[in-house]
Amino acid sequence: MNLHRLGVKFFAGDGATIALPEFLPVFHRWIQQSVLDELLLDVADYSHVHAGPGVLLVAHEGNYSVDETGNRRGLAYYAKHPQSGDVAAMLLAICAKTLRACHLLEREPTFAGKVKFSGDQLQIFANDRLNAPNTEATATALRPAIDGLLAKLYPGGKCEVVRVPDAKERFTVNVKAPADVPVGELLKRIRGE
Amino acid sequence: MNTWKQVLSDRMPAAWAEEIDVFETQIALKKQGKVDDKLFAETRLRRGIYGQRYDNGQRHDGKAQRTLTFPSAGLLKGTDTRWDAPGMQRIKLPWGGMTPEQMDALADVAEEYSDAICHVTTRQDIQLHFVHIEDTPDLMRRLAAVGITTREACGNSVRNVTACPIAGVCRDQTFDITPYADACFRFLLGHPDVQDFGRKFKIAFSGCRENACGLVTMHDMGFIAAIREIDGAMKRGFEVRVGGGLGAVPYEAKVLEEFVPEEEILPLTQAVSRVYARLGEKRNRARARIKFLVDRLGIEEFRRLVREERKVIPHDDRWTDYIQDVPRFVDEPLKAGKAAASAGADPAYQAWRSTNVYRQRQEGYAAVTVTLPLGDITCWQMRELAEIARRYVGDNVRTTVEQNILLRWMAEADLPALFAELLRIGLAEPGAGTVVDVTACPGTDTCKLGIASSRGLAGELRQRLAARFATMDQSVKDLRIKVSGCFNSCSQHHLADLGFYGVSRKTGGRTVPHFRVVLGGQWQNNAGSYGIAIGVVPSKRVPDLVDELTAKYLAERNKGESFRTFIERSDKKELKAVLDKLAVVPPYELDRSYYSDWRDPREFTLDDIGTGECAGEVVSMIDFDLQAAERQYFEAQLHFNDGDFRKADETAYRAMLQAAKGLVRTQFQDIGDQPDRIVAEFRGRFVETGLFRDKYAGTKFAEYLFHRHEDRQRRFDRDHARHLLEESQLFIEAAHACHAGMLERAAAAKAKPAREPAAPAPA
Repeated sequence: MNLHRLGVKFFAGDGATIALPEFLPVFHRWIQQSVLDELLLDVADYSHVHAGPGVLLVAHEGNYSVDETGNRRGLAYYAKHPQSGDVAAMLLAICAKTLRACHLLEREPTFAGKVKFSGDQLQIFANDRLNAPNTEATATALRPAIDGLLAKLYPGGKCEVVRVPDAKERFTVNVKAPADVPVGELLKRIRGE
Repeated sequence: MNTWKQVLSDRMPAAWAEEIDVFETQIALKKQGKVDDKLFAETRLRRGIYGQRYDNGQRHDGKAQRTLTFPSAGLLKGTDTRWDAPGMQRIKLPWGGMTPEQMDALADVAEEYSDAICHVTTRQDIQLHFVHIEDTPDLMRRLAAVGITTREACGNSVRNVTACPIAGVCRDQTFDITPYADACFRFLLGHPDVQDFGRKFKIAFSGCRENACGLVTMHDMGFIAAIREIDGAMKRGFEVRVGGGLGAVPYEAKVLEEFVPEEEILPLTQAVSRVYARLGEKRNRARARIKFLVDRLGIEEFRRLVREERKVIPHDDRWTDYIQDVPRFVDEPLKAGKAAASAGADPAYQAWRSTNVYRQRQEGYAAVTVTLPLGDITCWQMRELAEIARRYVGDNVRTTVEQNILLRWMAEADLPALFAELLRIGLAEPGAGTVVDVTACPGTDTCKLGIASSRGLAGELRQRLAARFATMDQSVKDLRIKVSGCFNSCSQHHLADLGFYGVSRKTGGRTVPHFRVVLGGQWQNNAGSYGIAIGVVPSKRVPDLVDELTAKYLAERNKGESFRTFIERSDKKELKAVLDKLAVVPPYELDRSYYSDWRDPREFTLDDIGTGECAGEVVSMIDFDLQAAERQYFEAQLHFNDGDFRKADETAYRAMLQAAKGLVRTQFQDIGDQPDRIVAEFRGRFVETGLFRDKYAGTKFAEYLFHRHEDRQRRFDRDHARHLLEESQLFIEAAHACHAGMLERAAAAKAKPAREPAAPAPA
């Protein structure tokens, strides 16, 4: 499958009340301090739009976003350029980047522990209507990669995977895991630590 | 099939598909080093692919200038423009027209290649940001498949042909100008006679004279609908204007022909294009717009040349072919018109209806403005809005120059249901065309030329004003605010009641974002008159200034007096005093908030030049000279307002000389007061050495002085005085920037030996 525009979003937990503009200085500081292991370019503020990409940390390989699409806040990362490995490997790498950013935000001193992510709910999406239209065929083709990722995150657990059926939207599946695992623990699992 | 080229091959117009293939080949050749950087830059610009901030691979992160190490290190897509740096894709929407199918396509490409946002511009385009150049051919194919081209959206070409968004449904129009605007777009797209311009060329159509409509007077070429009796029959035609434009120095378009019958508008446009291509400036970018050619030749001579040219152009059937289809170019409403049963009891609905709904000339129908904050709409909202359009208005959707979307031919009876739908997708904000509907260009968010954060300021103003909108006096609600990130006027700040554009000032050795304040522009009457620049305030004080000025207006206006008239008759010294009260920038140590811009926490300064002296500031001679120049400029404004155009002109010229003298004096103390000597020394020491060279404008501002100095047969009239005032102000700004650059270089040279490699900044 010729696909690299993949993304993962972890949803914010209950009680997160941080206003979107408060993420601006944090992302700028991440750029200053080269906090993430990739080329970080800029911060884009879309806090004024409803249920949108919120605040973006634009990187060369992909974008990080305190995303409110679907009226649900979360931290999303999606790749823009091809990475090494097959689709399964890329999905693992993308999820690891998302979890790393989630973990950093949870530990961000500015937010004093007010940012939390649910470790039992995530979204996987493909930003590519040519190679991954929102169809059952795509779901079937991507299923091994998705199962591989979920096996790493939730070993032994049975996850519920539901495709968002709207044909006009990009291919998206919502995942409900059997247990709420802290994102720090998920990060360790995906890294094999 | 696994490429968009294959999938869409039978859905794209053949000529458009071929053009995109050619462009894809040019990309490949560029990657092989077989295309010159400048040539490729203009090639991509003519495909609507524009550079974006930091694409030179340098970004100041608030602590230090950092190099962005892109993977394709040595590969450029233009002079000093990195291949991998994300860029902007501009998408032309002629007369702002969009269909639901096109909206879906725009949403999809925004989601897959951009950042999931479609941005509506002040010329009815859509812009996508953070786009990689190698994604652009497929992006273009997907748009071409739904009838959208990006060709000539940027570059030295005919840009989007804009038109009044309510054309056809307007209660005051002479006739629907849409088919003429459409014909103009199609005729000129890729036409050989419009490929050799020295600069861009913008065209607008307007259905009437009195309303804002197409903003014809600020365009390179504009058409205002008119009807005349000829040989006993009523004949459609247009008043044609030429040579307007905002940019750094705004010009009002002159009347080229008072009435041109419909069959003559395309050949006349072609004749104008040929004259402009032949005689317009090519080498000096700063004076290459057609407004300078018209000004240089005079409208009478320009008119003569155009008429001569018209006689020799070979006949083209396309000049008139479209006219037989004009009667068929009518909007088809999706639903039967029906008046609303009641005004509704919901206050939110009533508030929205009072500002966002326009009663059409057709009984039972309304045009509804969907207010987009800062012109932004998410891809999800765009798709949802497309569905809403399919249910209520069909293809009758347009973008507006106030960065909103208009749904036309809404049955009035469906308005409550529409409001509920818009509410669901977060697009039911009231206040369209009011003081909260602030227009802003991209500014420092993404534009390479941006000086200050226009979007940050606009967002802040919008939020603050919306919070008290319900209790505002109606005359304040009716004001328009427009914010540009620099002098280039992309927000059309000259036409706003309250216009702002970004500048900077040095305080205690640090750079502080400021905005220059332009008051009293006129949106109506097709951009009837331009505002006057009053002064400069720190960015962080602009919201306070808006409060002060609107309060002053409410307290001191005459009965029924508009803000524009109030500004016009006000004592400018008093207005300036309001600004001056807010102009003080506290020392960095006391309040750092002034030293960063709205919604951008990075320090605005470009380098750590040094700290302020607690015992007092050391003020150099140049500071005094520049201050004197500012004062003279202000005096010139007063003379202008008094109608003494000669004095205004001469004083504005003296202000430029003063600023130039100040700069020369940093190197040559005994320069004296002789204008010839000042200009010669300034040219030799600052222009020829590149010291006074703006990174993007080059020597444009210096040439304002040279041009005026060498003008031995100066005409002292209103237009020339006004243009010189604008030029004088920009020249003084450039002198400030030149001085700031000198200070920074001196400080950097001083600090260099002791500098350590930049350490990670503390949290």
